[in-house]
Amino acid sequence: MSTSNLSEWITAQREQRTLHDWIQDLGPFVMLFGLMITFTFTTERFFTEGNLLDNVAKNAVTLLLVALAGTFPILQQSIDLSVESVVLLTGVVTVVLISQFGLGLLAIPLAIGVGMLAGLFNGIVFTKLKVPSFLVTLGTLSVMAGVGKIITGGSTITFRNPAIRTISTGDVLGIPNLVLWGLLIYVGTIVLAFRTKFGRYCFALGENERVVELAGAKVDRYKIYPFVLSGLLCGIAGVLLTLRISSASPNIGSGLLLPSIAAIVMGGTALTGGVGGPHRTILGVLVIAVLNNGMNLLGIDSFVQEIILGLVVVAAVALSIDREKIDVVK
Amino acid sequence: MASETYTEEMNADQANPAGGNDHSFRVEGISKSFRHVQALKDVSLAVDHGEVIGLVGENGAGKSTLLNILTGVLEADEGQLYVDGEAVTFTNPREAANYGVSLVHQEQDVITTMRGYENLYLGREMEQFGVLKKEQMREEAQAFVDDLGINIDVDERVRNYTFNERQMLEIAKAFHVSQKSENPVILLDEPTAGLEESGRKILFDLVNDLRDRATFVFVSHELDEVLQISDRIYVLKDGERVDDTTVAEATTESLQQAMVGRETADEYYRVPDQQREADLGETTMTVDEVVHEDTVGPISFSLREGEIFGIVGVEGSGKQRFGRLLAGDLDTMQGSISVDGTTLQSPTVSDMVDAGVGYIPKDRKSEGLLLYQSVLVNTSLAMVRDMNGNMPLLDLDAEEEATLDAIEELSIKTPGPNALVHGLSGGNQQKVVIARWLAQETPVLVMDNVTRGIDVGAKEEVYRLCRELTDQGVSIVFIGDELPEVIGMSNRIAVMAKGEFVGEPFDASPGNKPTEEDLIQEMI
Repeated sequence: MSTSNLSEWITAQREQRTLHDWIQDLGPFVMLFGLMITFTFTTERFFTEGNLLDNVAKNAVTLLLVALAGTFPILQQSIDLSVESVVLLTGVVTVVLISQFGLGLLAIPLAIGVGMLAGLFNGIVFTKLKVPSFLVTLGTLSVMAGVGKIITGGSTITFRNPAIRTISTGDVLGIPNLVLWGLLIYVGTIVLAFRTKFGRYCFALGENERVVELAGAKVDRYKIYPFVLSGLLCGIAGVLLTLRISSASPNIGSGLLLPSIAAIVMGGTALTGGVGGPHRTILGVLVIAVLNNGMNLLGIDSFVQEIILGLVVVAAVALSIDREKIDVVK
Repeated sequence: MASETYTEEMNADQANPAGGNDHSFRVEGISKSFRHVQALKDVSLAVDHGEVIGLVGENGAGKSTLLNILTGVLEADEGQLYVDGEAVTFTNPREAANYGVSLVHQEQDVITTMRGYENLYLGREMEQFGVLKKEQMREEAQAFVDDLGINIDVDERVRNYTFNERQMLEIAKAFHVSQKSENPVILLDEPTAGLEESGRKILFDLVNDLRDRATFVFVSHELDEVLQISDRIYVLKDGERVDDTTVAEATTESLQQAMVGRETADEYYRVPDQQREADLGETTMTVDEVVHEDTVGPISFSLREGEIFGIVGVEGSGKQRFGRLLAGDLDTMQGSISVDGTTLQSPTVSDMVDAGVGYIPKDRKSEGLLLYQSVLVNTSLAMVRDMNGNMPLLDLDAEEEATLDAIEELSIKTPGPNALVHGLSGGNQQKVVIARWLAQETPVLVMDNVTRGIDVGAKEEVYRLCRELTDQGVSIVFIGDELPEVIGMSNRIAVMAKGEFVGEPFDASPGNKPTEEDLIQEMI
């Protein structure tokens, strides 16, 4: 082949790949609209403003934040399994700081700071002690859940401060604050992923750490940041959730891990790292939120819902895995 | 060429199988196209028992497509394969292996966590009631490799093998999968890429020893190697067989001309463009008594602006480690390196990049490139580190501009800045690695075998680029396994052995270049 033929050949290869990508790219959209149409016709309440905004959107925000948190470690080919415990811990800390220490608004940055510290700890153990991230975070998942539960003393703790609650429960022009926070942070993570050095290195580290190192990046530092960001976002999720219900139970946040990872992978971020991004994670979140809501409206037994959710997760992951990438990492 | 008649003669024999002079392996009129691109056009070749056949051509000439067709990975659009006179069709590599045709891959295809014999039997394990007969496999495997004259311990884990031993294992595996066949045909795809001098010798000795037991097809970029090992050479260009010549009639020049269709003379390394000593600038890097554990050093030298400093040495001489040391990639270092007045002790890669030293590793696929990221991301990977005065935000316009400049300046053949590096040819991939340091305007480049595994055309462009860079005052540490290349390119050449420089570096100014023999004498 001459060189011009070669580039034609490359273009042809890319065209072929794109066709495959199209199917993969459109998968979550098709699923989301399919579910929405199904529920619109099978239930009366689904397609109403009240339901979509108050139930689907509000409930989706916590999952969205946790899934965005989990996206960055996965992009760099590690994983944060401790997300739901960070939500628990920061939620509990928020309540305690407001009700027992009377810190008011100051409780919010402090609680989020606790989340970031937890992330920093994960990141440092992972990077400096070279413990696989899934092990570190599996450990801290358990540790932080235990700490959080001890603080609650085993029962739901509450606070009374209606003014602070409006951060989460108020609305602007009819749109719930909670949803606005979610969207704001969503846009923020997209900027982080595609417009900053941090985001660039995340993708690059996810593909080949050696190459990034030899290009002169301070690799260790950039491997820790995603965990700190994860702690930050989970902290925000914990705070918003607690403010919304003005209490924290020993089980707050539990059950978020599986759907969050499912949402990330469904969105197109491969568990093998380097491809995808937070912009698509929202699709997976919406699929799960709509599915949950629709099944509730249909009156499906909650245990049966668990089974269905699990099956959907496995199917979605199987369909959206980037086979080409797997071939590369073996 | 004279070869025309040769082939016709062979075909005449073939028409009469009773003559008993069957070719071991023959392909006739193979064509293959991918969409609208013709990768192979009416290619015929014939291989006799005991022959070693060279197959050369630029990247994209169709060598890989041909190998894939011969081993059943791809199916030809037209044409026919014959093994010992019998017409055959392969639909997968296993069928090809049953007829004795197997391929030793360019990228080593062994599982490093398994033992040698397990690799040898991979997919064809001996078992009884579902239990592996390990002992028997181990013994038979050892006997098998011993019989081939291959000196490896099959009970050892492959990750403990040297690069060379892994290749030997692959060759043994090729024999092993085709042991049913009386005369195996073993296709060696770029077998010497990544091997150093001593490894090549072992490989060539093995091929020579096994000549009467198999037919080899040897695919390589390195023409002198092909000339050294082959009996006959086929040349592919743009998917067509343009030449078929015996070794006696061929020279490096004649093959090169057939491959690229242009004259390549002494001008190849652009020696006349080399910076004269009088034109060299200030000292830009000084290496002072550096030592790494007991593998490198003590070494001292200094580099001037516009200079190319060559480093050669046998495998294990420490030249590659020394390159890594200059890149800041070794954990510990005694002594110091000064770059433009900054003195560094035990620097990290990041420190060296800050000081202005860029490293181009030997293995671009595992250390040089993010294959599934775009040309742009790869090109700007170093420059993003201190964009916008160390602010976290990227300057996307600057990245794109730098990438487009690099694509033009290095004539990188890519559909665009956003195309994935994975789809580019080896030569263009390597240009992307170089582009990364150009975008960063790095004054000192450490290159480890920068032209490894790229075709002649791309090599020439890399040489041109090196000359242009040195014109602009960039200095290059040029580490290489190819002696003629290092001699042609360098202003001075240091020979390394046992981690140290042997004597004073050779002067290699134009007209005063050392010969290969001069260097080899110091190397061993």
